[in-house]
Amino acid sequence: MSLSCMHIMDEVLASVAETIKNFAVMYLVDITEVPDFNTMYELYDPSTIMFFFRNKHIMIDLGTGNNNKINWAMKDKQEFIDIVETVYRGARKGRGLVIAPKDYSTKYRY
Amino acid sequence: MATLADSFLADLEELSDNEADSLNEDNGDAEQMEEDVDGDLADIEALNYDDLDSVSKLQKTQRYNDIMQKVEDALEKGSDISNQSIVLEDDPEYQLIVDCNALSVDIENEIVIIHNFIRDKYRLKFPELESLVHHPIDYARVVKKIGNEMDLTLVDLEGLLPSAIIMVISVTASTTSGKPLPDEVLQKTIDACDRALTLDSAKKKVLDFVESRMGYIAPNVSAIVGTAVAAKLMGTAGGLSALARMPACNVQLLGAKRKTLAGFSTANSQIHVGYLEQTEIFQSTPPTLRKRACRLLAAKSTLAARIDSIKGDSTGKVGRSLRDEILKKIEKWQEPPPAKQPKPLPVPDSEPKKKRGGRRLRKTKERYALTDMRKLANRMAFGVPEESSLGDGLGEGYGMLGQAGSGKLRVSAGPSKLSAKVAKKFKEKQYGSSGATSGLTSSLAFTPVQGIELSNPQALANQLGSGTQSTYFSETGTFSKIKRT
Repeated sequence: MSLSCMHIMDEVLASVAETIKNFAVMYLVDITEVPDFNTMYELYDPSTIMFFFRNKHIMIDLGTGNNNKINWAMKDKQEFIDIVETVYRGARKGRGLVIAPKDYSTKYRY
Repeated sequence: MATLADSFLADLEELSDNEADSLNEDNGDAEQMEEDVDGDLADIEALNYDDLDSVSKLQKTQRYNDIMQKVEDALEKGSDISNQSIVLEDDPEYQLIVDCNALSVDIENEIVIIHNFIRDKYRLKFPELESLVHHPIDYARVVKKIGNEMDLTLVDLEGLLPSAIIMVISVTASTTSGKPLPDEVLQKTIDACDRALTLDSAKKKVLDFVESRMGYIAPNVSAIVGTAVAAKLMGTAGGLSALARMPACNVQLLGAKRKTLAGFSTANSQIHVGYLEQTEIFQSTPPTLRKRACRLLAAKSTLAARIDSIKGDSTGKVGRSLRDEILKKIEKWQEPPPAKQPKPLPVPDSEPKKKRGGRRLRKTKERYALTDMRKLANRMAFGVPEESSLGDGLGEGYGMLGQAGSGKLRVSAGPSKLSAKVAKKFKEKQYGSSGATSGLTSSLAFTPVQGIELSNPQALANQLGSGTQSTYFSETGTFSKIKRT
C-alpha cells in the first residue's frame, strides 16, 4: 500500500514539475538513503511533502491537525499546484503559516 | 405571308435578344435583303438577314488569308532557333506572332457573331437548345448533327457533349415548340455552322503555332505556367504587351467560364479561375489551397509577362526562379502548425494587476462610495452619547448624524448614485402602494403558521400594474410578465 501511495504522489509531482518550475523547485529525498532528518522532521510516512522558502520551513493549515507537512498522496494535480502557489504567496509576504485553499480535515486520501 | 410571319417572329426575337441586335446592326445594315417588303418594321430589317456573308466577313479578308497561309507554312517548317541574334522586333516571325494574337481575338469575336446568327435561325426549330448548350462551337456541332430532325432518338450526340446534357436535350426536344425549318434556311444554318467550325480549327492552328514559338516569345511565362497555357493567355489578352499591362487579377480570370446550366450542380464549378486552371502547378495543389495558389500563379506570371514584354530576360531564368518560389510557398502552406508546447505557470504576484481608470470606472466606484451621511454616522462627538436605531446603545449608532451642534441644519441623503434600477426598486419598496387605499384595509394578517403577518396588499397589484396603464414608460415599471412561483 505504501508503494502505490508513493507512486501516485511521485506521478503527480513529476507531471507538475515543469508547470511550476518558475516558482518552485522539487527535491526528491529517499529517507532510507538519507535518514539524517528522520527524527527532526518526523518522517515516518510513505510520502511526505514539506515546504521551505529561503531556508525557512513554511507551515500550511490543511485542517488535518498537522501543519508541518502533507503526508498523504494527493491525486489531483491542480489542487497540488494551488497549495504550492498559496505557500509561495504567503511565504513571499513573510508569513510562516498559510491557509490551504481546500480543507482536508476528514479526507485523508491514500 | 411568309415574310410577314418572319418579320413578326423577328419582332419577338428582338425583344428578347438585344445583344444580337447591336452586333448585327453593325454588320447587316449595309446589305439589306430585297425579300423584305415591309417598310413599317424598318428597324427589324437589320435582324432579318438571310445571307451569312453579310454577317461574317472575316474569312474573306485578305489579312486573314495571309496570316493563315504564313502560319501553315511555319508549322510545316518546324521551329526555327536561328533568331537569337536578331532584335526580336525586327524578326518577321515575331511580327507574325503579334498578328496571330490579334487574329485569334478577331476570330473569337467572329465566332460569337456567327453563333448569334445560327442561334437566331435555329430558334424556330429548337429554341431551348441555346440555353442548354452555351459554348458556341458545341452549339454549332449539335445543330449540324441534329439538322432538321424532329425525333432526337435518331440523332447520336455521343462525344459532342457530356451525357447528362445529351439527356436533357433529348427530353427537351420531345416537348419543344419548334417546327422544322424550310430548306434554304436549313442550308444557310448548316453553312454557318461549317464556317464556325472552320474558324475554330483555324484558331486552333494559330494557337498551336504560337505555342510552338512560345519558348522564345515569352520564356519566363512559359517557365511558370507552361507553353500551352501561356499561348492561350497571350491569345486571349491580345498580345504580350497587352498581357503585361493587365493587372494580375485580370490575368487570373482570362478564360474563365461564366455560365453553368440552370439546375446543374455548381459544386464543382471553380469560381474565378481561368486558363490557369490547366497549369501543372494548379493541378497538383490540394483543393483547399487552390484559390490561394491561383492568385499566386496569376501574380507571378504577370511579373514574368512584364519581364518578357521588355525582353529583360531571354533565357527564362527569372521564370524558373519564380516557379521555384511558387512551389516552395505552396509547400510551406501545407506544413502542419508547430506543436503546442506546455507553458509553465508564471510566478504568482509577479505581474501587477492591470488597473483600469477613466470615467466609467469612476462612475461605478461612486455607487459604492462612502456618502456624507455615512461619514457623519461613523464619527462621534467627544463626551456626547450617540443616538442609535434601537435606542440605549443597541442597534446601529448614528454618530454625529442629527446631533444638535453639528453645524449642519439637516443631512440629506444626497443624490443617490446607485444605478437607476436599484433606485427604482428601492423607491417601490419604500412607497409601496401608489393608488388610494381604503381606510378599512389593514396590513396585518393573521396566519395560522406564523401568527401575525405584515403584508402589503398592494404589492402584487403594483407588480402587474393596472391593466389599462401602460408600464412601458412608467418609472417603476418592469417586465410585464412575472412568473408566479
